[in-house]
Amino acid sequence: MGGITGNATALRVTVGILVLLAFVPLLHNGYYENLGRSVLMFATLSLGWNLIGGYTGYVSFGNVAFFGLGAYTSAALWQHWHQQSLLVAVLCAIVVGVVFAAVLGLPILRLRGHYFAIATLGMALALQEIVANIDWLGAGAGYAVRPLDAYSSYYVAMWIVCAGSMLATYLIARSKLGYAFVAIRENEEAAAVLGVDPTRYKVIAWAIGAAMAAAAGAVFAGANGFIDPPTAFATDSNVFPIVMALLGGVGTVAGPLIGAIILTAINESLWSRFPQIHTLFFGAVIVLVVVFLPRGLLWLLDTRGGWRAVAATLGAYRV
Amino acid sequence: MGCIRVGALFALIVAGALALTTAVPAPARADDSTIVFGAALAATGSNAREGALTKAGYDFWKDYVNAHGGMKVGGKTYKVDIKYYDDESNPQTAARLVERLVSEDHVNFILGPYGSANSATAAAAVERLKVPMVEGNGAAASIFSQGYKYTFAVLAPGFKYLQGILEMARTLKPAPKTVAISTANDTFSVEVGQGAADYATAHGMQVVYQNKYPADTTDVSAIVSAIKATNADIVLNGGHLDEALLLQRTFKEQDVNAKIFGYSVGPDTPDFRKTLGKDADWVFGGTQWSPTAKYQGAPGFIGDSKVYAAQFQKKYGYIPEYHNAESTAACLAFMYAIEKAGTLDPQKVRDALQNLDVVTFYGILKFDSRGINVYKPMAVNQIQHGQLMTVWPLGVQNAKPMYPTPAWSAR
Amino acid sequence: MLFWQDLVNGILVGGIFAVVALGFSLVWGIMNIINLAHGAFIMMGAYTAYVLFATWHVDPFLSIPIGFVLLYAFGYCIQRFVINYVVRAPLLTTFLLTFGLSLLIVNVALLIFHGDTKGITTSYSGANFSIGAVTVGWTKLWTLLVALAITAIMHVWLSSSRTGRAIRAMALDIDAAQLTGVRVSHLYAVVFGLGAGLAGAAGVLISLSYSLQPSMGDPFVITAFVCCVLGGLGTVQGALVGGLVYGVLESFGAQYIGTGLQDAVALVVLLLVLIVRPRGILGKVTA
Repeated sequence: MGGITGNATALRVTVGILVLLAFVPLLHNGYYENLGRSVLMFATLSLGWNLIGGYTGYVSFGNVAFFGLGAYTSAALWQHWHQQSLLVAVLCAIVVGVVFAAVLGLPILRLRGHYFAIATLGMALALQEIVANIDWLGAGAGYAVRPLDAYSSYYVAMWIVCAGSMLATYLIARSKLGYAFVAIRENEEAAAVLGVDPTRYKVIAWAIGAAMAAAAGAVFAGANGFIDPPTAFATDSNVFPIVMALLGGVGTVAGPLIGAIILTAINESLWSRFPQIHTLFFGAVIVLVVVFLPRGLLWLLDTRGGWRAVAATLGAYRV
Repeated sequence: MGCIRVGALFALIVAGALALTTAVPAPARADDSTIVFGAALAATGSNAREGALTKAGYDFWKDYVNAHGGMKVGGKTYKVDIKYYDDESNPQTAARLVERLVSEDHVNFILGPYGSANSATAAAAVERLKVPMVEGNGAAASIFSQGYKYTFAVLAPGFKYLQGILEMARTLKPAPKTVAISTANDTFSVEVGQGAADYATAHGMQVVYQNKYPADTTDVSAIVSAIKATNADIVLNGGHLDEALLLQRTFKEQDVNAKIFGYSVGPDTPDFRKTLGKDADWVFGGTQWSPTAKYQGAPGFIGDSKVYAAQFQKKYGYIPEYHNAESTAACLAFMYAIEKAGTLDPQKVRDALQNLDVVTFYGILKFDSRGINVYKPMAVNQIQHGQLMTVWPLGVQNAKPMYPTPAWSAR
Repeated sequence: MLFWQDLVNGILVGGIFAVVALGFSLVWGIMNIINLAHGAFIMMGAYTAYVLFATWHVDPFLSIPIGFVLLYAFGYCIQRFVINYVVRAPLLTTFLLTFGLSLLIVNVALLIFHGDTKGITTSYSGANFSIGAVTVGWTKLWTLLVALAITAIMHVWLSSSRTGRAIRAMALDIDAAQLTGVRVSHLYAVVFGLGAGLAGAAGVLISLSYSLQPSMGDPFVITAFVCCVLGGLGTVQGALVGGLVYGVLESFGAQYIGTGLQDAVALVVLLLVLIVRPRGILGKVTA
C-alpha cells in the first residue's frame, strides 16, 4: 500500500477516471470540452512540477516558464510558418523546454530551499518580460493564433499529453531515476556519498518536467486562440499546479490529476454561485488545504492510524 | 486501511467533485418572447472596474429597450435580457464562458468581454460556434487579421487613438514639430503608440522618442528623464489610467514642460481629474466619445449624447465615460441589425451586421470587411479648468483647444 | 547629463524599496518564512493613508505611525492564530499559505474599495527643486528621509531593547531561546507583526507617490526579494543597502538597457546574485 507511486488503489481509480475523460469529445459540448481540457492541462503542469517539487524535493515556483515557452513555440510556428500541426508543435515545444531547463538548470539547481524557489520565480518573471520585448514573438502585443477547424483535436492532444505524462511519471518513479530523485529529496549529501550524482539527476528531473509543461503549452496556444506574455506566463498556471499537487498528494503518480479535478470542480462551482467573491473563497480554500492537508489527500488515505497520525504531524509543525 | 475503504472514500471524493461542477443553478432558458444575449465580463481581477463599466453600458440599453416596448423583429415583439458570467479577467475563462453561454445556456447572441486578450479568445470561440459577437472594448488589430467573420467591434481601432491629437496639433499655431511617445508594453497600447508614430512621420513631424515600459510598472522616472532631455513639443502616452496618473505626476515632479500632453487613456476618467486636481488641467486625451460629442443618432434610441449622459447619470449616479457608451453602442449595433434582418437567425443577423450603416449618439456604426469600425473618428478632449471639453474634430467640438500648455512653474 | 538625474532618481526610489524590504527581511531572516502576503500588507497601509486623507484630511506623513500600528496588530493576529500552526512545516506550506492569505486580503479590498484607481494629491505634490540639471521632488526626498529614520529606529530597537535581543536570540537557536524562557509563540507573532507594520508604513509612504489599487502591492513582493538577496538577509543594514542599490540599478538599467526591460534587469540581477553570492552584499555566511 503506498510507496513511491502512491496508494495503489487510488492510482487504479485515477487511471479509470483518466480513461473516462477521453470520451468527453463525444458529448459534443464545447463547455465541457473546454473544462476537461483545462483539467488535463493543469494536471500535466502539476505532474511536471511534481517531478522536481514532489519527488526531488526542489520546490520550483517558475515552471510556468516552460509552459509559456511551449505556448510561444506553437504560436511562432503558426505566425511565421503557418504551421498548425499539433504533432510538430508539441515536438518542437518539448525540445525547447528541455534545452531551456538544462541550460538554466545547471546554475539554478545549485541553489537550495528558499533560494531555489525565489530563483525560479525570478526566472519565470524575467522570461516573461524578455519575451515581451522580442518583436519576433509578438512582443507585448502577442499574436492571435487561428485554431484548427477540427477543434476537438486540441482536447485529444491534451489528453495524450496528460496520459503520457502520467505514464512517464509512473515509469520513472519505479525506475532507478525515481529512487535517485527521492534519495536527493530525503538527504542530498547522503545520496551523493552513495553514488547518486545530484546535479545530473536534478537536471533530468527538471528537464522532464519542463518537457511536460512545454507540451501542454503547445496545445494550449492553438486551443486558446491568442497568446501574449501575461497569458503564456500567467500566475494561475504557475501556482495552481502546485496547489493541485499538494491537494492530491505530492510525490505520487495519481495526486496531480486528482488535485486538478477537485480544484477545478471547486473553482467552477464557486464562480457560478458566488460571482463576486469566488476568488476570495479560492484563497480560503488554498489556506485550508495548506494547513490541513500538508501532503495531500493520497497520503491521508495512506497513513497508518489515519487521522490521528495526520493530526500528530500537524502538531509537529506548530510553535 | 483496507483497499476497499480507500477505494470507496476516494471514489466518493471524486464523485463529489464532479457533482459540484454539474450542479450549477439552472440557466435562464431563452423563452419564445425574449432575446437573450450572453456576456462573459470581468467582475473580478485586473479588469474588474472596466468590466463593471461595460456591464452598466449593456444594462442601460437593455432597460431602455424593455421600457420602450421591446424590440420588433419580423412582426413579433421581444423583450431583451442579458446573461452575465465573470471571466475573472482571464482570457481562457472568457472563451470557456462563451462556450457555456452558447452550448449550455442557449443564448441568441454574444456581447463582447472587456479587454483585447479576452476579446481575442472569445472571437475564436464564436467563430467556431457561428454565433455573432459585437464588442465595444477590444481594439487590438491582431483579432481582425485572422479572417474571422463573426466578430464586430464598434470602437475605433487602436492605432487611431492618438492620431486625433496630432491631427489637431497640425492646425495650431505655432505648429509643434517634435513628438515623444511612451507606451505600455501590451497589445493595445503598443498599437496606439505605433499609430501615433506613423501618423507623425507621415505628416512632417519628428518622432524624437518612442519607447515601451512594462505593463505593470510602478516607476517611470527613467522614461520621464529621457523625455525631458528631448524637449519634445508633444508628449504622448499610450497606456492605462494608472500609468497616466503616474506619468503626469512625474512630469510635474521632474519639471517636464511640453506644448501638448496627450494620453490615450486617462483624461476621460473622472478619477484622473479627481486625483490630480489642478495638475490635470491642459491635458489632452483621445476619446471614442464624450457627453459633449455632437452626433445625431437614428430613431429607436436616444440620439443625443447629452441626453444619454443625463439619463445614465440619473440611473447609475455617475457621468458616463466612453467605456459605458461604447458598450451601449455594441448593443445598438445588434439592435439595428436584428431589426433590419427581421429574424433571430445567427447567419442572417451576422450578414446584417456586416452591412450595417447607421449613426448613433456614439457616432457611426459601420464595419469594414474585417469587422472593424474604421469609419469612426477619434475625438479629442481637453481638461479645461477642471472640466472635460471636446476640442476636435471641428464638427463635434464644443470648445477651442487651449494651447500651448504653460510651464509648470508658470501655473 | 542624464546620469546624475538617474542616480538621484534611483536613490530616492531606493529609500522606499528599503522600507519595503525591511519588514520582509525580518520575517524571512528570523523565522524563515517568505511572506507572499507582504504586498497585501503594503496595500493595506496605503489604503489606510487614503481613507484617513480622504475622510479627515490627515496628511499621509502623519498616517505612518497609524498605518504601522494597525498593520502590526493585524500581522500579530495572523501569525499567532494562523501561521504559527505551520511554522515548522516545509517551505512549500508557508509559501502557499501566505499566497492564499494574499489572495484573500486583496479580494476583500476589492470588495470594499472596488477596482477604481485612487490617489492622494496633497498641496505639496509635485513640488520640486533643482540642483543644476537635476530636479528633485520634495515628496520623494522626504520619503527617503523618513525611510532612513525608520531604518535607524528599527536598528536601535533590535540591538538594544530586551524584546529585540530576545528576537535575535530566537533567530540563532530557537530551542535554546525557549529554554531561557523566551515565549516563542508570542515572539514569532511580534516579529511577523513588525514585518506587517513596516509594510504598512511602507504602504503609507508609497501612497504619496503612486496610485492605489487593490493589486498595487504585488510588484513590491518581488522588489522585497531582490533587495533582501542583494543586501543580505535578516539585518536592517542589509535591507537598506539592498534597497538603495536596487533602486539605482533599476534606474540605470531602465535608462541604458531599455525601459521595456527594466523589471527584467532587476530579476536577472537577482539570479546572478543568487548564483554568485547568495548571501548578498552585507550578509554573513550561515553555517
